[in-house]
Amino acid sequence: MMPFDLVEPGTLREALALLDPEDSAVRAFAGGTALMLMMKSGFFRPKRLVSLNALAGDVASLSLSPTGELRIGAMVRLAELERAPEIRRAAPVIAAALRRHSNPRVRNVATVGGNLAHGDPHMDLPPVLIALGAEVEIEGPAGRRRLPVDGLVSGYYETVLRGDELIVAAIVPPQPRRRALYVKCTTRAADDWPALGLALSLEADGAAIRAATIVLGAATERPMRLAQAESLLAGRTADAALIGEAGRVAAAEAAAAIIADARGSSAYKRRLLEVELRRALARLLDLPAAGETR
Amino acid sequence: MSAAPRTIRFTLNGRTVAAEVAPQESLVTMLRDRFALYGARESCGQGLCGCCTVLVDGRAVSSCLALAALVDGRAVTTIEHLDADGTLDPVQQAFIEAGAFQCGFCTPGFVLMTRQLLEQHPDPGDDDIRHYLAGNLCRCGAYPEIVQAVKLAAAKRRGAAG
Amino acid sequence: MRAARQVGRSLPRLEARAKVTGRAEYIHNLQLPGMLYGKLVRSPIAHGTIRRIDAEAARAMAGVHAVITSAEVRQIIPSPYYGPAFHDQPILAIDKVRHIGEPVAAVLAADAAIAEAAAQLVTVEYDELPGIFDEVEAATSPVLVHEALKPAGTFADLKHLGGKRGTNVALEFRLRRGDVERAFAAAGQVFEHSFRSQPVMHTPLEPMVALAEATEASVTIHTASQSPSFVRIEIARLLGWPENRVRVRTAYLGGGFGAKLYIKLEALVTALALLARRPVKVSLTMEEQFYTITRHACTVRIKSAVDRDGRITARRCEVWWNGGAYADIGPRVTQKSGFTAAGPYDIENVAIDSVALYTNRPPAGALRGFGIPQLVWAYESHTDLIARALALDPVEFRRRNILREGRPQATGTVMRDAAIAAVLERLAQKLEWGRPFERGTGPVKRGRGIALGFKASISPTASVALVTIAADGSCAVQCGTVDMGQGSDTAMAQIAAEVLNLPAESVRIVHPDTDVTPYDMATLGSRSTFHMGNAVKRAAEDARDKLAALAAELGLPPGANVEIAELFRRRYGMQAGTIIGTASFLPSYAPPDLATGLTDNATPFWMVGATGVELEVDSETGRVRLLRLVTVADVGTPLNPRIVETQLSGAAIMQLGFTLLESMEFDRDGQLKNPSFADYKIPGLGDLPARIESETVAASQHSGPFGAKGVGESGTFGVSPAIANAIHDAVGVRLTSLPLTPEAIYRAIRAAAGDSLAEE
Ligand SMILES: Cc1cc2nc3c(=O)[nH]c(=O)nc-3n(C[C@H](O)[C@H](O)[C@H](O)COP(=O)(O)OP(=O)(O)OC[C@H]3O[C@@H](n4cnc5c(N)ncnc54)[C@H](O)[C@@H]3O)c2cc1C
Ligand code: FES
Ligand code: FES
Repeated sequence: MMPFDLVEPGTLREALALLDPEDSAVRAFAGGTALMLMMKSGFFRPKRLVSLNALAGDVASLSLSPTGELRIGAMVRLAELERAPEIRRAAPVIAAALRRHSNPRVRNVATVGGNLAHGDPHMDLPPVLIALGAEVEIEGPAGRRRLPVDGLVSGYYETVLRGDELIVAAIVPPQPRRRALYVKCTTRAADDWPALGLALSLEADGAAIRAATIVLGAATERPMRLAQAESLLAGRTADAALIGEAGRVAAAEAAAAIIADARGSSAYKRRLLEVELRRALARLLDLPAAGETR
Repeated sequence: MSAAPRTIRFTLNGRTVAAEVAPQESLVTMLRDRFALYGARESCGQGLCGCCTVLVDGRAVSSCLALAALVDGRAVTTIEHLDADGTLDPVQQAFIEAGAFQCGFCTPGFVLMTRQLLEQHPDPGDDDIRHYLAGNLCRCGAYPEIVQAVKLAAAKRRGAAG
Repeated sequence: MRAARQVGRSLPRLEARAKVTGRAEYIHNLQLPGMLYGKLVRSPIAHGTIRRIDAEAARAMAGVHAVITSAEVRQIIPSPYYGPAFHDQPILAIDKVRHIGEPVAAVLAADAAIAEAAAQLVTVEYDELPGIFDEVEAATSPVLVHEALKPAGTFADLKHLGGKRGTNVALEFRLRRGDVERAFAAAGQVFEHSFRSQPVMHTPLEPMVALAEATEASVTIHTASQSPSFVRIEIARLLGWPENRVRVRTAYLGGGFGAKLYIKLEALVTALALLARRPVKVSLTMEEQFYTITRHACTVRIKSAVDRDGRITARRCEVWWNGGAYADIGPRVTQKSGFTAAGPYDIENVAIDSVALYTNRPPAGALRGFGIPQLVWAYESHTDLIARALALDPVEFRRRNILREGRPQATGTVMRDAAIAAVLERLAQKLEWGRPFERGTGPVKRGRGIALGFKASISPTASVALVTIAADGSCAVQCGTVDMGQGSDTAMAQIAAEVLNLPAESVRIVHPDTDVTPYDMATLGSRSTFHMGNAVKRAAEDARDKLAALAAELGLPPGANVEIAELFRRRYGMQAGTIIGTASFLPSYAPPDLATGLTDNATPFWMVGATGVELEVDSETGRVRLLRLVTVADVGTPLNPRIVETQLSGAAIMQLGFTLLESMEFDRDGQLKNPSFADYKIPGLGDLPARIESETVAASQHSGPFGAKGVGESGTFGVSPAIANAIHDAVGVRLTSLPLTPEAIYRAIRAAAGDSLAEE
């Protein structure tokens, strides 16, 4: 790695001032897990890194409001998130998804802000947050703005963040009567980045589904809502036939967007989506384990 | 701070130390080059194998993915600290008794991760062990013995505590 | 006083404390005053001629000591080609590059980061040539990797090497026993299949590293090497120096598995140190290891005739080994594994053609098993397919055909101390093979499979050992065996201690240093326990005899119980003197006849290993979950049962990676797509079978030290075919290419149902 300027401001305001909207070689440095990989491989040669690790207060803490809204500061580490009692209470799916995320050493340093800002389509957490209807709070020279997480990533490793903006928090709305599940499918080693990630959130009474959110991650250029499968399920009482149908519809609607890579061909990932969605629905809805494996 | 080397001060294995580091220097390189500590060692260089594990403020991290300059003011603990008083940590003892290594290159990382595991799960089940240690690789394949060692270490620690 | 028995004890490794405290010595850690780091500029193409190397910008960078290319190397080493079988590999590329990642230039700087940055400033222009990548195509391709071949002539078993002019063939091994054609013509049934193994890499977690320091009169090479004696001979040859001016030493190795054998970085660091007149260290990254050495990809075509009683009457094996751009030890892999390519079966008529080929891939060499796992993959998959076709139980079919004690193997060498039958029976017993097997419900199907392999040791090879007794009676063993995790230090200490009646913990093992440790061929192919073990045992006996002679000289009656220290005191009048026991061990060997491959003495001992697997296949996704992995082996009499068990399970786990996960993926231009752990996945805890069991059968290698023989590879033999056989058992499909990925399995399931999954 070549030398660069490394600064560690103590306040968000100073941090923002040290960024440069014109220069992509000036970047925020949070846990650094993604950046270090890119720097070591020569893929990213920074001119200046603005470490956010000295920031304290809101941006580094987590809170649960009386209404059940979660506010997760951008500098909260994934490991803190995994263990926080607030998360286990308000959105246990996040804790469950993090258990198979990267490894404990990475989770000890990687941050929620870095995770979202990285825009890597292969990640586990963004689809989960999207399924929960989460938003990000962004601060820049023009002040604060809020965006749905779904609107943050604009493409392959691309976000709508400007070079002089920082994510300050992720906000997860209350989840009354919702059940959520994240399925991480790996196809090489058991512990790997996902070949396909599937985040589901259902509002249902027994098997009667009022609304469904289904987000496909890792297999496409950016996390993808499976709208046709969602509307197939909405307002229906689920049975084995319906969840099987949902799997097929999802595979068909995602077909064109699914990318082949070292983790599998597009055809195989479509198949995984079909099977895993059916099984996930069975689990969430407590239906007979149609095709359930373990 | 700037692109020039800067002096950082931090606690290393219980002692306050200072070092002059370049901004791009990784933590594992600094420990090796400036402090002759070799127990954390770079292998995959990508955060995946755990050979470079150290504790920063008590939390296990991959020192191949950490910048040395950012440990300024923090506490770094390496494997060399575990037997500072001349006696082995129960985890180390358990690794020896269970024969939980062959070449030993991965061992410091497994020992440090096991200590953190036992702090959070004093009586870990197979599933806890699997999830906690899944990010450490052992090419010699000493995994069955490592799992035994973790259980043995848990029993030793509970014995010592109770 | 008689110490307790030292062999057969599950003594923890002597260096256990150093390893758990992070203080064990590895060359990885070594730094010397004034040392420079060397970083390599590597070829981005697989085959081409070098038009121009422009190193001006790199040389001009502050902190850069030098940029070295082959032009500089040739000033001190006129013919800088090395290798154990052929002198075909240049220290740095000369005029041409032959594989992706081939070293073209080296940048030296006191700061590793500067060397690395400067290396990126070196620009090299190439004229690309067409490449040849497939081993079967290479056999007939007009694209030649080497224009001329230079046999090394270093090793006794490879004296006949010539290579075939005008081809990519480095070695052809032929075996002809009986008359296969006639047997095929007369046979009741004939079966033929092809199997492929993918290229994989050893990935020792301590990446390859070497450091050289030179004086006017000598050079010292500190290297993570499995073969210090060979390095010394090869460096002396390159420099035209006598051996005694070259010193090669090692420390503990952070894994080897064959990657660190023969000569790898040592010639390079020697040349760099001599040119720079400073110590030079080259440490590879994990990525660079993938460009340095690999395991042979391999294609096997195998055909068998079976009579009405289910006896195999003839077998023909054609094996193509993808040796990559430099032969390394591929020719030996080709020949030695060729001996046993037909499997542990008693077959009248056998024909084997095993061919080592040059291609434009990174070089392939030895990897735990020396080619045997690739062959067992083929012959045990094939055996299982035949048993199925004949509706015979796989255990019973093997029972009818296995080689039994006293019968000649394909080469004609008679099987001695090879517990093939016992291993098979014990495996069947552990799996409760005769009991009904639960098949699973719903989409998850269960299956089980077995496989059985064997291996001839590499021969003829020598080991020499010294056992010294100091004046206080303490004992040190000086031997060239490298402890890379297999526990050889502990085993050698146990052997010496047993002979000398000492506790093994008190014996000190002097690590390989060619200035003080005598010749040893190398630490490879599970040869050390047998060869070096015998040498150490005899050297210890020699020391014991000399102690007895000393006692006699002092007028003591035989059996007088006088402490060793007291003997020295009486002899020298004070604590002084040394007794040196020494021995060398070289088993006999008869080279195979060049035309027929036959010999009555192919190997000093046989290794036998079998694997049983129980698994689940999710028929909707192709995902496999291993429930049970059982290894049974004949290791003779274990010297240290605990270490033997970890060797067996460790080998099985490694081979499990090569079976289910690992594959070096090349694109059409020979570019490697996954040279890192991010994309080259080795097994972690999550990939392990729910149950792993390893066991040895009661056996003895009569010519081995205390009945022992090699164990390091036996656990690898059967893993791949046992898993494929179990998958077949579960879901009725046969995979013939490794690795067995979920997608490959799922595709096979769909294809079998006549509903193939779309390609994309
Ligand atoms: C070994 C390993 C295994 C992994 N496995 C997985 C896995 O299984 N699943 C998975 O989903 N992911 C995985 N990851 C990726 C991991 O999730 C990311 O590296 C991590 O979340 C990034 O967070 P960070 O804080 O380290 O980001 P950094 O590396 O610090 O930053 C990443 C990017 O975000 C920007 N940034 C950081 N913070 C902010 C902010 N507050 N506002 C605006 N921009 C910001 C940076 O400038 C940079 O561009 C793995 C990573 C590693 C190293
Ligand atoms: S070297 Fe840091 S995790 Fe592998
Ligand atoms: S003991 Fe060798 S890598 Fe784990």
